[in-house]
Amino acid sequence: MQKKYLIGKKAVVLLLIPALILISIFLIFPAIWVLKLGMTNETLTGIKAREPDFVGFENFLRIFSDRFFYNALRISLLFVFGSAIVGQAGLGMILALLTYRKSRRLRTTVQSIVILAWIIPEVVVAYLWIAFLDKDFGTLNVTLSWFGFEKVNWFYNHPILTIVLFNTWRGTAYSMLLFSAALETIPPSYLETADIIGTSAWRKFKDIVLPNIKSYIFTDLILITLWTFNVFTPYLLTGGGPAFKTELLPIYIYRNAFRYFKIGYGSAISTVVLLINLLLAIFYITLSRRKRT
Amino acid sequence: MKRWICLLIILALAVFVVAQKVTIIANAIKGGKNTQVVEWFEKFLPDIEKELGIQVELIQTGIKDEDFKARIVLDIKGGGGADILWIDGFWVPEFVEAGYLRPIDDILESIPAWKYYFDSMKAMGSYKGKTYLVPASTDVRMIYYNKELFKKAGIPIPWQPKSWDDIIKTARIIKEKLPGVIPLQINAGTEMGEATTMQGFFMVLLGAGGNLYDWDSGKWIVNSSALRDTLNFYKQIYVDEKLGDAQLQVSPGAREKTFDLFRQEKIAMYVEGTWMYTSVLNPNNPSWGFPDRDERIGWAAMPGRGRPGDPEFVSISGGTGFAVNPNTKNIKLVAEVLKRILYVEPQLSYFMLKPFVSPRSDLADSCWTVNKDKFIAETSRALVKYTTFRPAFPVYPEISFQAQLLTERVVTKQMTIEQALKDFAAEVTRIVGKQNVIEKP
Repeated sequence: MQKKYLIGKKAVVLLLIPALILISIFLIFPAIWVLKLGMTNETLTGIKAREPDFVGFENFLRIFSDRFFYNALRISLLFVFGSAIVGQAGLGMILALLTYRKSRRLRTTVQSIVILAWIIPEVVVAYLWIAFLDKDFGTLNVTLSWFGFEKVNWFYNHPILTIVLFNTWRGTAYSMLLFSAALETIPPSYLETADIIGTSAWRKFKDIVLPNIKSYIFTDLILITLWTFNVFTPYLLTGGGPAFKTELLPIYIYRNAFRYFKIGYGSAISTVVLLINLLLAIFYITLSRRKRT
Repeated sequence: MKRWICLLIILALAVFVVAQKVTIIANAIKGGKNTQVVEWFEKFLPDIEKELGIQVELIQTGIKDEDFKARIVLDIKGGGGADILWIDGFWVPEFVEAGYLRPIDDILESIPAWKYYFDSMKAMGSYKGKTYLVPASTDVRMIYYNKELFKKAGIPIPWQPKSWDDIIKTARIIKEKLPGVIPLQINAGTEMGEATTMQGFFMVLLGAGGNLYDWDSGKWIVNSSALRDTLNFYKQIYVDEKLGDAQLQVSPGAREKTFDLFRQEKIAMYVEGTWMYTSVLNPNNPSWGFPDRDERIGWAAMPGRGRPGDPEFVSISGGTGFAVNPNTKNIKLVAEVLKRILYVEPQLSYFMLKPFVSPRSDLADSCWTVNKDKFIAETSRALVKYTTFRPAFPVYPEISFQAQLLTERVVTKQMTIEQALKDFAAEVTRIVGKQNVIEKP
């Protein structure tokens, strides 16, 4: 017997076409264009702006011998691990668990505060953080000096920590909301039964909560890893400095393409970053499939 | 019927005429960077509008020079942009190579003031035999010092160092007598951008008798004792003796922060251009101006290293000017507007707001006679004879970045001088090719 579908196959294809066209125009075509640009030595000024040459894979070879690339890659990985995986997902999980099965008022208050950090426009957020961390006039240093602590030049002495904390603060809301919603899907009877037999909190988490929300955790990790990998906002805080210590891959691309006008080289780096993103996505997807079976 | 068509045509023409607009872009914003430029335009643009019966709009920006450049490049490459571009003269070669500027020799023929421009200034605005830029102003570079801080530290005024050692000695006194005050800032690092190359690196390098470019052989210099001594001087200031604040140099918004600290009298000596005095410290600048600038802030010529054969004093000049966008729709109107900007009257009123070293002979004396600007008069008289220009070839910005990187690596202790120089030589060689570099003793 043929399986009954809500709509016919033809209709499905027809309905997908507009979306596919949009994806082609705004995603696939630019990606191919970037690949093509990355194989030229095109610049935004100078003679190569008018008459770029095809250079094949020269740009790619140069990327892999460019110390700034490895610097940016290292910082990006640290940033993703610190702010996305440990920071946003970890803190989001803790917050979700702490407010789980608590009064509605508490949950609403905590969520509102965390979401506030998420919905403020980026430029405003960057300004607030600069005002908070500035060496001479920042709120943090002024407060610390009341208690007799020495002023710390946060951006200079702890550059990576600064952007990791910033991005954790900025993005935790998403993970927290997702985990809170996931926790709601656990049938209350599971935990109530565990309560009755007096299971420890850790066992409840490990044996009841975790298995039930595993797939949500993977979804969250995929999304925030990719987002964090491509985030540009720290540029507004540090400009990639001091001395390139917070130069994430997107900032490295920006610097080459739009500050030094090497658009060909910048495109080549973009292609590499695109591939890294793909690898990350594939890694997470296979991992989540394996766990499910 | 005919009457109707006539009416329609007239109406269409009227709409066309009303819609006619010439736009000017400058890196200036009211109340901020180059606020005087905006005030100046506000003063005389309405007259031009009335006379020509068109709209003339000033697009304000007031951002970092590098960002301003990116904006203009992307505007023009995208087929748009303002008609008249007030840009830095050293961008001309790379812009022309990319086809971003319109040759303006035909316009200049109809501009009576053009014959008064000095040849050196005309050269700044031209490339491969054609003219692309009308210089608006030029400048010189020097050391600014805070007289109040000097008095407190017991240093006699007027102060004029004769060698690098004199600068270091003065800085040591300030460090000892005035804790909390940064004795000396000489720009370093990539955050400061071209301000590092011009106000910092070149001012030191020239003093050791060096250069980035060898004008005789037409090659880029990748290693020399002058280069080494320049870096040693940086190291002595920022690393060995901590007479300057290297963290400040490489922190985000370094230039604005430096102006802030100079305004708060927390920096005693700072090497900068004419612009610093006439615009940043200008009493009418709401952010950084000193009401008593002329009494409080002194200047001294930047000395050479101080060994026999070194130049006595050094300075390097840049300049900005008006260029024309090739995408412009109505070149005739642009020419008319440009012509009126260059009339003597508006030029003098600009000088009144923001004094500058004039690029043309009919105005060069105005600082002596018409407006009596002591600062411009004295600095021009003292420094123009020593000044030089940067090698503004299309490849220059890339080399300039390498020079900024060189200073950054030394002042932040990322590399030793030898390592940094080795990297610099390798990168410059990669950029211009082996046949275009040279090593000097």
